[in-house]
Amino acid sequence: MNEATPSAEVRTQKLQGLGTARKRVEDVRFTQGKGNYVDDMKLPGMLFGEFVRSPYAHARVKSIDTSAALAVPGVKAVLTAEDLKPLNLHWMPTLAGDVQAVLADEKVLFQFQEVAFVVAEDRYIASDAAQLVEVEYEELPVLVDPFKAMDPDAVILREDIKDQEEVGGHGPRRHPNHVFTWDVGDKANVEAAFDAADVTVEEFISYQRVHPCPLETCGCVASMDAINGKLTVWGTFQAPHAVRTVASLISNIPEHKIRIVSPDIGGGFGNKVGVYPGYVCSIVASIVLGVPVKWIESRMENLSSTAFARDYHMTGELAATKDGRITGLRCHVIANQGAFDACADPTQYPAGFFNIVTGSYDIPVAYLSVDGVYTNKAPGGVAYRCSFRVTEASYLIERMIDVLARKLEIDPAELRIRNFIKKEQFPYQSALGWEYDSGDYHTAMDKALQTVDYPALRAEQAANREAFANGETRSLMGVGVAFFTEIVGAGPIKNCDILGLGMFDSCEIRIHPTGSAIARLGTISQGQGHATTFAQILATEIGLPADNITVEEGDTDTAPYGLGTYGSRSTPVAGAATAMAGRKIRAKAQMIAAYLLEVHDDDLEWDVDRFVVKGAPERAKTMAEIAFAAYNSVPPGMEPGLEAVSYYDPPNMTYPYGAYVCVADIDVDTGVTDIRRFYALDDCGTRINPMIIDGQVHGGLTEALGIALGQEIDYDEIGNIKGGSLLDYFLPTAVETPVWETDFTEVPSPHHPIGAKGVGESPNVGGVSAISNAVNDAFAHFGLTHTQMPHDHWRVWKTAERLGLTG
Amino acid sequence: MELQDQQSIAASRHRVFEALNDPEILRQCIPGCETLTKRSDHEMDATVSMKVGPIKAKFNGSVTLNNLNPPEGYSITGEGSGGGAGFAKGGADVCLIEDGPSTILQYNVKVDVGGKLASLGARLIESVAKKLSGEFFEKFATLVESANQESASAFISEETANAETGIVADRFSRTYICIAAGVIAVALAAIWLAMR
Repeated sequence: MNEATPSAEVRTQKLQGLGTARKRVEDVRFTQGKGNYVDDMKLPGMLFGEFVRSPYAHARVKSIDTSAALAVPGVKAVLTAEDLKPLNLHWMPTLAGDVQAVLADEKVLFQFQEVAFVVAEDRYIASDAAQLVEVEYEELPVLVDPFKAMDPDAVILREDIKDQEEVGGHGPRRHPNHVFTWDVGDKANVEAAFDAADVTVEEFISYQRVHPCPLETCGCVASMDAINGKLTVWGTFQAPHAVRTVASLISNIPEHKIRIVSPDIGGGFGNKVGVYPGYVCSIVASIVLGVPVKWIESRMENLSSTAFARDYHMTGELAATKDGRITGLRCHVIANQGAFDACADPTQYPAGFFNIVTGSYDIPVAYLSVDGVYTNKAPGGVAYRCSFRVTEASYLIERMIDVLARKLEIDPAELRIRNFIKKEQFPYQSALGWEYDSGDYHTAMDKALQTVDYPALRAEQAANREAFANGETRSLMGVGVAFFTEIVGAGPIKNCDILGLGMFDSCEIRIHPTGSAIARLGTISQGQGHATTFAQILATEIGLPADNITVEEGDTDTAPYGLGTYGSRSTPVAGAATAMAGRKIRAKAQMIAAYLLEVHDDDLEWDVDRFVVKGAPERAKTMAEIAFAAYNSVPPGMEPGLEAVSYYDPPNMTYPYGAYVCVADIDVDTGVTDIRRFYALDDCGTRINPMIIDGQVHGGLTEALGIALGQEIDYDEIGNIKGGSLLDYFLPTAVETPVWETDFTEVPSPHHPIGAKGVGESPNVGGVSAISNAVNDAFAHFGLTHTQMPHDHWRVWKTAERLGLTG
Repeated sequence: MELQDQQSIAASRHRVFEALNDPEILRQCIPGCETLTKRSDHEMDATVSMKVGPIKAKFNGSVTLNNLNPPEGYSITGEGSGGGAGFAKGGADVCLIEDGPSTILQYNVKVDVGGKLASLGARLIESVAKKLSGEFFEKFATLVESANQESASAFISEETANAETGIVADRFSRTYICIAAGVIAVALAAIWLAMR
């Protein structure tokens, strides 16, 4: 290295690689209104589709009269199930191995189910004409209560599969409305543990049906090119390659004749993983009519017909010694799948990774069983900003720990600490089958409790309770502690696939002669900032500035095959592929550098952005120099160019964790819950971009606040969706959102190439538990063990009333 | 939802019968009512147009009388469909009570509502339904009471005529009350629907 060479620190800074709070490159266009979303697309001759939807939750379709709609000027077609039957497209496979009606075939099974698809010159005409489609229904009894689904006299919902022995290969069904039973663990040993226990607790804990409610609803533009037989679909897809494969399988169009493009996506949170009737109908309409067809959901359609989340009704039990050592866990879940099982779970896991329910604790034996049932509700069951069913599992264990703490009269934080998996126990084999790769829970919890001065909070709470008893205040203070462990980054092909597609991911890198690069990935950003962070991973790996690296995703014609973005899998899987592809680039670059410097490969060492000769640092080749040489002076026998591709099959999941503390004040006379303080410590392993991590945590906590304090997709007894609009569905804004205090520890994942574990979903998982624990804690001294979410003002006030605390 | 209320009308029960028997009066009283026709002695059809916020719909409703139990009461069932906007179906128990020179109409409506309308603003509906039913009865009372003054002499002669024809006429009138009340119930349901 000569004197003109800047220091390693200066050069590292210039790369804007790992650990840098690099500003999001996407925001240049987003903050100027220059994003390109599906609904921004305008193609010549494009038509618009609109659904006719069922007002009934369960009814037989007697007849459909489309004549009045077809008579409207500008209407080009009205599709019904009868039109799709000859193409065998009136039903489609779901990601869970079930089937779903594209357009209602003889009966409707949930309110707002798709019945007909009107295609017209503009969306106003389509919408008006949809009102004129006359559908004659014969009402059938409605089933919305999942606990009544398997009653002997329950109305049979899925006549299409009533004699089918299993759905999605998940074992025998016990009732026509039964989807699956999934059980794991050692039932007999758990029974023995409960028999021998000093103390046992049991609680029924519901996690209400909610909806991810991304700001941009779902939609697509389908365009069939009749000349070359190629179908292009631009859409809000979280997994474009999987959509291409599914589209090919169900349409019989060869996969190379299908191009799926995800442009900018305005939030997904799981809602955009599935395949929806709107996509299929738009594709069929485009094929039939020979012009592009656009379909965009309204807000009400989004909330009421495309994938919901949760709707898990859980009975948890813990067995423990009297000094608070947990000796067993048992849990049964009724999973309300709605009318079709359209969960987006890996094939082997019909209840997702709910078997992470032992949480962060060393619980020797556990048994879990989940029964999925059909009801007259919308299909879905996606992971709303979490890995598959992890939020439900984490919520259950984090509430149960608090319930046990009350019974044992041990502080909830202390009870957690006593049961944590210890640092030296990693890799840790959980009772329900997961191998936790790494963690240091005690350090994280200690840091959290010290930062918030936990003993002082409890002392303040004791004073508050005394003041309340003396009538000096009408406000109750609650302190919620939650410690979650997630399981993300699905996943190893050996146990993770969707429809037979292994859940690997990919990155392809091309280095240009002038020292810049393009990286294409199998994932797709929906706001996560991939173009910023993946460039940072690469910058560190290959020594080119992040600003010189373009990241491109979402076009199946150009991007390498990957399973997409959900379940916090982008960084653990595609991020790893990016690092691995970068290392292939660097390996070739090293050979070129050795050739140029006339030394042996082994005589070189990597120094931030260049290879230097060991012991002679003045002799070096920068990555930019090597890039140019790759196109004109490679060693004899070596192919020119500098490109690499990596398909990464992760050896294990990653296990991010965190310690969250929520302090809430509840006005017992109004039920208003004010979150005074929220502290979130996350350990997501190696931190790629601290600013983006903060943003992810802020967003996830805001959604957690929404879920814990207000969100619910509720149905009345005749299957009407109650509150299927933003009039009623709680979407927190800056007004309702407290200041989020963030913190971290950094225990890298031992098996990930850069040690990153994923972070986008952690705050939703931990946040809901922390807030709910705080609300429950506020009333704990009156004997309350659990009250169901959402903790909106009405319910909190009802809890206070039930406990005799209101005026 | 359930809607339970009563309304005093400053006219004799006979005069109220007559007005409830008059599709034209009912048409004028039901907000947005375009047509009201009698299909048979026990059935009536109505068309009600509503536009609330983003939703505009024409409701076609029909009512069928059943459980006639003169003179204590009767019940009716009805349904209204607004196409893509939604539907209502349900029933009502209606009772007419003589109260000196006035008549008290008691009603107890139970309706199930579905579709797009059922998903919008369930919180507002009861107060809106009450407000609109108030509007109905205000208009109804005005029309009935003014007609009452204009046709006092006719009223007396009809009273005499009714007394002469006895039970047959009484049953005939009651049937119409039932139907009319049913129409009111459906109209209320439609109003309620449209306001959801």
